Amino acid sequence: MSQESCHFTLVITGAPYSSQAPQTALGFAWAVVASGHAIDRVFLYGEGVHLASALSCPPSDETNWTSAWGEFLEQHSVPGIACIASALRRGLIDPAEQQRHELPASNLAAPFSIAGLGEWVEGVMQSSRVIYFHGGD
Amino acid sequence: MQTLIIIDRPPYGSWSGRESLDMAFSLAAFDQPVSLLFVGEGVLWLNKGQDATGIAQKSVERNLKAAAMFGIESLMADQSACQRFSLTGQTLIDGVETVENLRATLRRYDHVVFPG
Repeated sequence: MSQESCHFTLVITGAPYSSQAPQTALGFAWAVVASGHAIDRVFLYGEGVHLASALSCPPSDETNWTSAWGEFLEQHSVPGIACIASALRRGLIDPAEQQRHELPASNLAAPFSIAGLGEWVEGVMQSSRVIYFHGGD
Repeated sequence: MQTLIIIDRPPYGSWSGRESLDMAFSLAAFDQPVSLLFVGEGVLWLNKGQDATGIAQKSVERNLKAAAMFGIESLMADQSACQRFSLTGQTLIDGVETVENLRATLRRYDHVVFPG
């Protein structure tokens, strides 16, 4: 490869089906790996956490962005992390948080996980670039 | 790595500003240098004497007053936006630096975040 390889952290703050952010970010992510660069992590923040809901169920002729992203993350072994504070406020729950807060259900889609803003801080400190995908309202 | 987080929306109407502030506090907690810049309607965050009890929210003024204590390096505001909203020495919360040249300010940072 002639040019230097970059490694990115992607931050998605727009929700699927109300913004274009997750779709644009996924297009960018595929382009990154196709060009020989790498994604360190994908961090879902604010409204972006809705992307990790296992319960979103769009009509069959529309793309399921949760599955499409899940496929990318698994195929390229990229961690997909939803911010815990954003997630809990918006009802995105993993089994550990379900138990801790005594909630009736959990709904975090594989392979996403829930963690703190420290994951984003690590991206800022270590990735060559941090790219933000906003809802743009 | 110097990070600047920009807030361009007024407080209370949306949650995005609070989440931007959380990003700043989080960097500071990891000893990463971070400053906040308020532009446009975002300067209303800096209005002195806010009381948000009527809308069942916590005042953001209290969060901002704690910013220095938690390691946020500076609170800056676009001077022309402050003029537009009549924010002066008396109506601005303490410890805010007003800046005239936004371009020069942005250039001082390695990482600029518009949390959206």
